[in-house]
Order: sequence, then C-alpha cells, then structure tokens
Amino acid sequence: MKLHLSTMLLGAGILLAGVACVKKDNYDAPDASLEGNLVDQQSKSNIQTATGNVTIRLEQLSWSATPAPQDIPVKMDGTFKNSKLFKGHYRVSIKGGAFWAVPPVELDVDKNTKYDFNLTPYLYLNSFTTKLDSNQLTLRFTMQAPIAGMPSIAEIQPYVNTTSLVGPGASIRDYSDVYKVAVNKEWGDMSPADRSPEFVIPNLVKGRTFYVRVGVRFNNDDKSSNLSEIIKIEVPK
Amino acid sequence: MKINNSIFVVLIAMLVAVSACQKLDIKPVNLLTDDQIFSSESGVNVYMAQVYRKLPIEDFSYRPTGRDGQPGFNLHHEWEHFWHSGAACGEMVGPWGGMDIGGGFGYWPYADIRAVNYFMETLPKYAVNFAPDKIDQFTGEAYFLRAYYYFALAKRYGGVPIVEVVQKYPEQTIAELQVHRNTEEETWNFIGKDLDKAIALLPATSAPERANKYVAAALKSRAMLYAGSIARYGSQNFVNGDARTQGYVGIAPEKATSYFNQCIEAAKLLEGHYNLYTSNSDKVMNYVDAFLDEKSPENILVRNYSIPSRTAHSWDATFSPRWMTANALSRAYPTLEFVERFGMLNFNNPDGTPKRYNQPGDAFQGMEARLRATVYFPGDILRTRTFDVQRGIYPTFSGTAAAEVNKPAAARSYLLSGDPNTMYNGKAIIGQTGISTAGDERTRTGFYVRKYIDYRRPQADVDLFTSTTHWIEFRYAEILLNRAEADIETGETADALVCLNKIRDRAGATPLTLAEMTIEVVRNERSKELAFENHYWWDLRRWRIADVVLNNARFQGIMPYYVFDEQKYIMLKEPETFGRNYNFEKKFYYEPMPGGELGKNPNLYPNNPNY
Repeated sequence: MKLHLSTMLLGAGILLAGVACVKKDNYDAPDASLEGNLVDQQSKSNIQTATGNVTIRLEQLSWSATPAPQDIPVKMDGTFKNSKLFKGHYRVSIKGGAFWAVPPVELDVDKNTKYDFNLTPYLYLNSFTTKLDSNQLTLRFTMQAPIAGMPSIAEIQPYVNTTSLVGPGASIRDYSDVYKVAVNKEWGDMSPADRSPEFVIPNLVKGRTFYVRVGVRFNNDDKSSNLSEIIKIEVPK
Repeated sequence: MKINNSIFVVLIAMLVAVSACQKLDIKPVNLLTDDQIFSSESGVNVYMAQVYRKLPIEDFSYRPTGRDGQPGFNLHHEWEHFWHSGAACGEMVGPWGGMDIGGGFGYWPYADIRAVNYFMETLPKYAVNFAPDKIDQFTGEAYFLRAYYYFALAKRYGGVPIVEVVQKYPEQTIAELQVHRNTEEETWNFIGKDLDKAIALLPATSAPERANKYVAAALKSRAMLYAGSIARYGSQNFVNGDARTQGYVGIAPEKATSYFNQCIEAAKLLEGHYNLYTSNSDKVMNYVDAFLDEKSPENILVRNYSIPSRTAHSWDATFSPRWMTANALSRAYPTLEFVERFGMLNFNNPDGTPKRYNQPGDAFQGMEARLRATVYFPGDILRTRTFDVQRGIYPTFSGTAAAEVNKPAAARSYLLSGDPNTMYNGKAIIGQTGISTAGDERTRTGFYVRKYIDYRRPQADVDLFTSTTHWIEFRYAEILLNRAEADIETGETADALVCLNKIRDRAGATPLTLAEMTIEVVRNERSKELAFENHYWWDLRRWRIADVVLNNARFQGIMPYYVFDEQKYIMLKEPETFGRNYNFEKKFYYEPMPGGELGKNPNLYPNNPNY
C-alpha cells in the first residue's frame, strides 16, 4: 500500500485535534481518611458484627447541605476505614446494627482522622461453648441484656461456614438456617431457658474444618443481630 | 479513485448557496398544536390516547425493576414477561435471583403529570368548541389520569411533591420549581380528592379503555384501601428515620378507619353496574374465559393490544412451555405455597408412604375450579399437548415421602435428566414440560400459569408479540375484594361475607360462614383471586407482612416421579429446583427517592428511612 502525504497529514491532524481535548485535572486527589472502631463501652473491646450488617454513613456537609451519602462497611471485627476521602466537614452516623442508637457526630475529616463509637449492644452472648461428639456439634450460650427495653427478639440461630467469614448471609444453610428458632418475644417475656438456648447440629461432614458462631436477631429497623465470637471446629475423619 | 479537488469545492459551495435560499418557517408536521388538538373531540381523543398509553398500568409487559435504565411501564419491544413481580415474592419463582425488586426503578412521571395539568389548564380556553357535558367528561378524565399517576407514586414512595399546575421555565425561578415533598397523608388525600372530582364529572359509560364514573370509583376503592392499610399497619411495623418523623412516610393510625370507609363507599358505587363473569356453567372454563372474553361484564377498565399498532404482547409465548408454543420460552412458575392457599395437598397414605397414581393427573382431582383455571397442573392439556411434567424415575421406591425428601441428593436412588429425550429402559426420564436439571425453560415447581393464557390459539401462531388478549386493569372481583377487606378492617363482617361468597360461588368454592371470617381469610381470598395480576407484591407491602413472609424464604413445588417397577407415579413435595432465597428488608416498604431527583431538588430530602 502506498502512503499518500495527504493521508499522513490527515492522520496527524486528527491526532493533534484529539490531544487538544485533554485537560489537566488540577483537582487534588482525595487523601483524607477516616478510621475507627465500634467499641463496646463496657468491655472496651470491639463489637462483633458480620459482613454487610453495619455501615458508617458519611455526609459531607462542607460540600452541600443535602449531600449524597457515602457508606463505609464495618468489618466483622468492628473496625472501619476509608482512606480516599476528600478533606472536609462531615456528619458521621451509624446505619444498622444491634446496639443502642447513638446520635450522629460532626467531624472535620483530614489526614489520619480517627473516631471510635462507644456503644452498648442490645445483648451479650456469654459463655459460648461448643461440644463435638464425633460429627455432632452442640452449641450453648447465655444471653445477657445490659439495658432492658430493646426491640423484640425475632430469632436465634447458629451460623456454620467453612471459612472464618461466618455470620448472617455467610453460612451453610443446612447447618445454619434450618436450625433457626423463631422467638418473636420481648426480652422481658423470655424465660431463663429461652435465654440459654442450645443447638444440636448433627451430620457435619467428617474431616472438615468449620467456623461457628451464634446470633440473636432483633426485629429492629434492619433486623440486625448480636453475634458471638467465632470458634473453629475440626471434625475428625 | 482520485477525486478532483476543485470539483469537490465547487459542489460544496453550490450546496451551501442553495440551502441558504430555504426559509426555516415550516410548521412542524410531527407535532399537533393546541389549535388542532382542542378544536374538536377527535383532537382531544388523540391527546388522551397518548396519556392513556403512558399510564403506569402494571400490565403484561410491566417490569418491576425497569429495563436498561428505562421505567418498567409500557416498554417498547418488551417480551420477557416472566420478569414478573409475583416471581420475586413467592407467588411464583422465576428468573429473579431472589427478592430483587424492592428498590424499584426510580419512577418519576412528572413529565406525564405535566401533560395532564397542561390539558386541564388549556381546555377551558377552547371551551366554545365543545358541549358542556364533553367538557365535564374530559376534565373528569384528566382528574382520573392525574390520580392514577399519583397513586403509582404514593404506593412506591409515600409522600411526593404535589404539582397541580404547569410549571414554567424560565419564567419561574429554580427555587420555585423545586417543589417541596408533601406528606404521605397529603398525597393520599390529594388522590382521593382528584377521584371525587372525577366521579362527579364523568359520565356513567365509556369505551372499555377509557375512564367513566365507575372506573374512577374503582381506582378510589383501591387507593383508599392502600391508604387505610398503610395507616393501620405502617404504624405497627416501620423503619424509623427523619422522613417518618416529618410525615413524609407513614400515616397516623387513627386515620385508617376513614380511608377504609371511603374505600367501601367507592366500591358500593359500582354495585349493579358491573357483575362477575358467569357465562359458562362449567366453572373452570368460565373462570378461564373471564380473562379472555372482551364482552365480560366484569371488566371495568381494560387495555387493548393489537398487532398492527405494534402493541401486541407475548404472554402466551412466555408463560407456557416451548413444547406448546411456536417460539420463545417460559421462566416463571407458580409455587406450591401459592397452590396450597386453596387447601393443603396430600399425596401420601396415612402411613406416610406416597400414594401410587396411574396417571399424574389423577393426583389433582377434586380441586377448586378457580385453581384449575389459574394454574396448569401435571396432566392438563393445552393445544392438544399434555403437561407431561415428570421430575425423574425411581427404578424402585420404598419408604415414606418425608424420609425420601430429607435424604441428601446423593443418597437418593432416582434418575434425573436435563433432556427430555434421555431414556431409561424405553421410558423418558423427564417430560417435555419438565422438570429438568438444566436451566429454567421448563417448570421448576411442577406448575405453569394458566390465567390469561389463550388456549384457543393454534400452536403455530403462538409466537412473540402476537398475543392480543386485553389486560383487565380493574375488574369487579377486585372491587368486591377491596370492599370485603375494608369491611373486615372496620368490623363490617356481614358485608364482607356477602362479597367473599359472591367471589367464591363463581370460583366453585364452598361458601364461608360468618364465624370463619377473619382478616387472614379475606387476604387469602384476595391472593387467590388476583393471582399473577401484579397485586400480591403491593398487598404484601401494604399489609406490612413482607418482611415476615419473605424472611429468607424458599419455595416448593410438586415433583412427579415415575416408579418404574410398579409402573405408577408418585408425587413428592420438594424445594423448587433452583432453591432460591427470598428476603425482604423492612426499608423496602418504601422505595428510595430517585437519586437523580434528589440531586436536582434538595426539597425532596429527607430520603426514605434507611436509604
């Protein structure tokens, strides 16, 4: 093929025209960050949660009086972090979660801003124990309410998964949801036996490792749960 | 080819010179001006036709999440009717991955509302062109149409901005155009008020596709029933938030009774003017034809479709198996939970072992006529072909149904297949109509939808965009059910019983007694009668029970198996083959205000709770 001068000029022209469109973005990249913990104010340890259960909502008031909110998911260990925020004045609130509500706070978010929420969960799931007989797992725990008057309790259930990411929305149905117990009672109406439930999960696959925890789900706005810590179970062959 | 540059330049110069002679002062031929529209009744009919066509009627082609960023109403060239609202909430199981429709599609029809407001403002200027009764009729229709749009908004968002005038830009400032959100109570009251005006102005009769006095009353009974149950149940089960404390969602519970009374009053207006369809003494065929016969006295408002106008739909081709159509596929199937609203099915002997049947159809005898007319069961026939639904073959079967179903799949001795041509000793393992291990183009539950299926059409004709069965937007059975529900909510049990027994008599069900009348019975009757008509989703929402009914719910089907050594069929109740999970979050009792609109109008804040 023979390359004509005119074709080459035309090509060069298009190239130049295209380059002329590029504008340098002189807006600073977001470099502010906000991180923190959801702390149980009694034990001073982080509140256990589950994937997608609780989010931190940010509203950049220095941008607009009615800003589009942005959410940071809280991790299972009760920590949260967003390191790509624009510097500014924010309203920070907690969305969801099974603990007594706290009012939103207003913060100036800049580099390495830290903020911890001190919270009181609706229920503590105490003395969570597991017992393994061959491949049958028995779970026991006791509920304790630091403050009475929380939303009614909808259901309690075990969560079993093959990874340590276990909780509502991340469990094996046949070992978890099928053992769900519908409670639908106020805390005050629950008997001592109701408050110390036991789950028996038979027929776990032999030779596998499972991660288990238990949860109490409330009939609150987002039907969130108080959750126990996670225990690793190795089922012998 | 070599182009002579000079010729090229001359040609362009001539083109520019000639086009400069053209004066751009031609009246647009694709637009109708006010003078043309408001000069005669036919002009107004043209205007009205386009407003009716855009009306948010949840008909065959309604798609509850929209499509490709477009609203879910009146989509062009939409054929996948199995993206049905009932298939996301347990009436059926379908292509949805679960309860996927809670967020809606950001419906915001203020351009269409503007068209109605424009009509109301402009018509009086041309009043000399019409007789006074025509002016009343058109104005009444406009009130009905506006109420219909606001009804579609209120049931999604709660309170929305009420715009009753044609907004003018740039004459009005941006601040004036950013109309503030009204409370939910104001919005429902506005709908009621518009419909009262429509009822007062409209004549008693109209073309089947257009509003008359009773059509407006029908919408009022529906809307006021919604408002009443939102007031009553929305104050018991709700999500807290700024929008709620400020009244943009939620209505005070003491207002419920007044809404229910308005519902009853509106429903009673229709008495004597419409009747349930009872043309055929065969109750099954009568109920089937009630949805196909355009002369039905039950129809209050319909929408028609035709092939020449390119509005024909595809219900026939997308709700029956390909085995019985000329093209396309089905993907949504009624659940056992829906079927058992008509009474629990039992396919077992007293000792728990499955009964043996000579033919699958033998298992489904003696059921309510309405159920047989709403759902196709194994053994039924459509277009000369049989619903040969069969999940698989057991070479031999022993033990109880419960024990068999609880076994892990690997421990069961059945044969399954993805292909109806796979044989076991000369016997097909599954039927042409399912139940397959591959895909969802054959039933996942053992059932198919029968309502609105036109059995009279030959198979070769049943292609996409060839169904012209009308959609019945309001039918008298719904009005009786609206009235019965409002009755039971206000303690008028005897009247509720009369309404329900009319419906049950036509349905071929036994009459109820006064002692049996509870709110659950009335709701169940509604869910049965109005199945697959896009009511159930809204009913679950306004009763505020969706988060309980759809609490990580899974649904079941009937699996017919052939027991080879006995040459008999057994029926097992099992989870539908996809085992999907349906979960409704409480925030879905209201949809979020559309993000784009929130960006344009800060007065729409606060957004609905938990969004």
